[in-house]
Amino acid sequence: MIKLTIDGIEVELEKPITVLEAARKAGIKIPTLCYFEGLKPFGGCRLCVVEVEKLPRLQTACTMMAADGMVVKTETEKIKAARRAMLEFLLINHPLDCPVCDKAGECELQDLVARYGPDAGRFREGKRRHPESFDDPIIVRNMERCVLCTRCIRMCEDLQGAYAITVTGRGSHSFVEPFSGGRYDCEYCGNCLTVCPVGAIMSRLHRHSYRPWYIQNNVETVCGYCGVGCTMILQMREGQIVRTIPEMGLGLNNGLLCVRGRFGYDFVQSEARLRMPMIRKDGELREVSWAEALDYVAKRLREISEKHGPQAVGGIGSSRCTNEDNYMLQRLMRFTIGTNNIDSAARLYYAPAQRFLERIFGQGITANLIPGIKNSDGVLIFGGDPTQINPILGLQIRAAGRESATVVTFGRAKGLERFAHYMLPGGPSVIDAVTGMIVQELRDKVQLSGENKWLEGEIQKTRVSEAVEGVSVDEVVERLKEMTNPVIIIGPEVLQSQNSDRTLLLIAQIVYLLNGRVFLLSDRPNYQGCIDMGVLPDMLPGGRPIEMFKHKAEEVMGKEVPTERGLNLFEMIEAASEGRLKALYVMGENPVFNLPDRERVTQALKGLEFLVVQDIFLTETALMADVVLPARAWSEKTGTFTNLERRIQMVRAGAESVEDMGDWRIIAELAQRLGEEKQFRSVEDVWEEITHVSPLHTALDYEEISKGNALWPYNGEPLRGVEEEVEIQGLDDIKPLKVEAVLQPDRPLYHSGSMSRHSKALKSIEDAPKVVIGEALSEKLSLKDGDRVRVTTERGTLKATVSIDSTLGDERVFLSNTFSEGNFSSLATYGVSRLGSMSLDANKVRVEKEEA
Amino acid sequence: MEEIKEILKRYPDRRGALLPTLYIMQREYGWLSQEALQAAADALNLPPATVKGVATFYAMYRHKPMGRHLIQLCTNVACMIMGAERLVDLLKERYGLEPGGTTEDGRFSLVIMECIGACDRAPAMLVDTDFHADLNEQNLFEILEQYK
Repeated sequence: MIKLTIDGIEVELEKPITVLEAARKAGIKIPTLCYFEGLKPFGGCRLCVVEVEKLPRLQTACTMMAADGMVVKTETEKIKAARRAMLEFLLINHPLDCPVCDKAGECELQDLVARYGPDAGRFREGKRRHPESFDDPIIVRNMERCVLCTRCIRMCEDLQGAYAITVTGRGSHSFVEPFSGGRYDCEYCGNCLTVCPVGAIMSRLHRHSYRPWYIQNNVETVCGYCGVGCTMILQMREGQIVRTIPEMGLGLNNGLLCVRGRFGYDFVQSEARLRMPMIRKDGELREVSWAEALDYVAKRLREISEKHGPQAVGGIGSSRCTNEDNYMLQRLMRFTIGTNNIDSAARLYYAPAQRFLERIFGQGITANLIPGIKNSDGVLIFGGDPTQINPILGLQIRAAGRESATVVTFGRAKGLERFAHYMLPGGPSVIDAVTGMIVQELRDKVQLSGENKWLEGEIQKTRVSEAVEGVSVDEVVERLKEMTNPVIIIGPEVLQSQNSDRTLLLIAQIVYLLNGRVFLLSDRPNYQGCIDMGVLPDMLPGGRPIEMFKHKAEEVMGKEVPTERGLNLFEMIEAASEGRLKALYVMGENPVFNLPDRERVTQALKGLEFLVVQDIFLTETALMADVVLPARAWSEKTGTFTNLERRIQMVRAGAESVEDMGDWRIIAELAQRLGEEKQFRSVEDVWEEITHVSPLHTALDYEEISKGNALWPYNGEPLRGVEEEVEIQGLDDIKPLKVEAVLQPDRPLYHSGSMSRHSKALKSIEDAPKVVIGEALSEKLSLKDGDRVRVTTERGTLKATVSIDSTLGDERVFLSNTFSEGNFSSLATYGVSRLGSMSLDANKVRVEKEEA
Repeated sequence: MEEIKEILKRYPDRRGALLPTLYIMQREYGWLSQEALQAAADALNLPPATVKGVATFYAMYRHKPMGRHLIQLCTNVACMIMGAERLVDLLKERYGLEPGGTTEDGRFSLVIMECIGACDRAPAMLVDTDFHADLNEQNLFEILEQYK
């Protein structure tokens, strides 16, 4: 126990902390400039100086550890004079242009000078000049205002791990710059903006358009881009988002955001947003009133259902919509129309992978806490770069790698290059063999628990008949067997091939052998919610199989659950093209764009009698629709998302636009027109019903969710005792395969697709697709970053700019599916894997240099 | 590359080998251009921004293209008292050479140095890697005329 006195207050400390932290604990605020919670102390600004008895000089509180018996004074005349002097020095070169600086009003330097003076500078020499840099589309640097606290650099290096900026030069000619000196070549997380205490690093997005005190309300919500679910504050003015900011201590991102979260919000303010419902009349979409549109949709759905049976109707939910929205669509399909034809894009990899793992390990296997990754002693990454797909989760891995964890990547993981200890190959030809080799060695070195006899049998059955040339796993296995709380991260890139069931079983074996915690990467914010809300053809809300829980659901709902087997996403497309499916209701999804093989999907949808699209933009799918209903964007909604750790989080509306209704309400209105009696007055009513229908969400209310700890298994009951055996072929004969290069969808850091391509900010960072190729291929074709190439598949050819990834082998070429032109889906086709996910093996690809 | 591997053996980590690596890049590229800095970063697998930060801190690296011969003249206290500033003026009069600049014919570049540790024989300068001290208005040019 350490006891010290700060300004006459006795402070007792359990653990040694700095004098500054001890003072804050006691409620005493020592002024700081270079200190920032979470960053390493720097001791550069000298503003936190304090007097410590028996020490001759003033001491910096941020670097001095509190010691037993210390007597500290934080605000004496001597200290004030020192602070005044330090500020006077800082102002020698500061331009004092507060009237034209966006930071004024929330500037730490301004506040400190107002408090400690000086009133006027005594230096007559000229100030250094360094013109403001507008070289970057997003970030303006004004180095005349910089006080060299280095918070941005410590943020960039120590927390973000991007190492993109540095102090160049020396003395009064020191400036913070990226390597280029102009435009940034970085992850654009914008976390340097958060930490800059002055107006030196500022966002261009809202430059000169606001003052901090103009912000009318701060709304805490959850980001709508990926499955991490970072908490952010929407700062609103007159119904518009001024900016989105993170806050220290808030949410699992704890003060950090990624590029999409920080800069990607402007799509909601795009001119292209849909405002009015539209009905196709004489071949053209014409604006109509809500009443007309809803009446028409209800009439057509009723007609088709009556004529062809409810099985001729289907619904596609949205992994970008809230739980409440998805629940209502599911409710409409199952209980109002009477069909189990409902699914979402979670089908593409997330839902089948989770189902597979849950069959082996039980429900909730993927419910693990993201902030815990940092404290694990080992991280294994399969199937994609988490720093791209789920950037804030990626930062946890970087942090773990810096601490004591051993980071092992399998395949592509460029963002972890500086942090990984072992980078093993993980392309489609070798992933099974490499994981099999690990299982073979590991099974003899760890104690089997006997908990899952079947899986232990499979582990013993695993046999690699031909090892991967040049790859040794001995050293890795030695490290693995020492791990006590490892984390296993599984991404889409190992889940979308014909054999991914075997790959996933091998990974599951490693999970079992290491007793690891599993994370399933999620490139959308609410895959998990779609699953939990029963947006699946064979599951009711709460992840309950229909055949087992039909009666219970009927009891609660007072309605029948349809018995006929539902169609999944792939089957609905097929049924549409064969004319079996007549009507499709698509909420917040864009299958024409998001499913590969645009031609096939377009043809299928053309075969429908009636297509309704409810979306925020006139997407490729909406363009084909008979009725288009404008929906609310994420920042205009209240409801919940369930993130990849199965944490339920509140989404709150920054501002609601008057003319539209929001997804769940549109569906509620529609259901009424189709004979539904129950009235849903507010989103709370919807949630209330969910807590009754889903055994997982029992008695969970918004108030509790708002506390941020609505963690698995909530108040509910997970489904237990459903571990099943799955049959996997060829486990005893694993060998490297001969494969030709295939085209795969890239999930780039800067973009997400339908939303991000309406974000001017994100487009200013990257506005055209990139083809990501491996190093050997780039050497063979003598390509360098930025060269133009032609990418050819059976479906056609497109031209794009090349980006080289040294962690990617030559078996795969990645192309994003984010821009309206030159995207993955226009070049690819798909099948269905044995896992039930989308299989992309068939997309053989050729890359050629485009001669200038 | 071989040379950098040798250097790496002498340091506990890659970052430690940065200063000598920058000298090698400076020799190969003539000066520390962006290209040279990137090459140093690639060779040591360090972030390019870090390399730039270190390189720009030091006065001893060339941060722009230089003439055939580099004059590094000290104007710190001892050299200043012994007339170094007059020498700076003379270089300008004779060659049109400004501190930090290069002569039009690309023959000389001039960098004003911090103390080069020859205060007892001030004023002093380095021309390329040769040391010259006890300079005065006459011998300055006798020395420099040896460098073509």
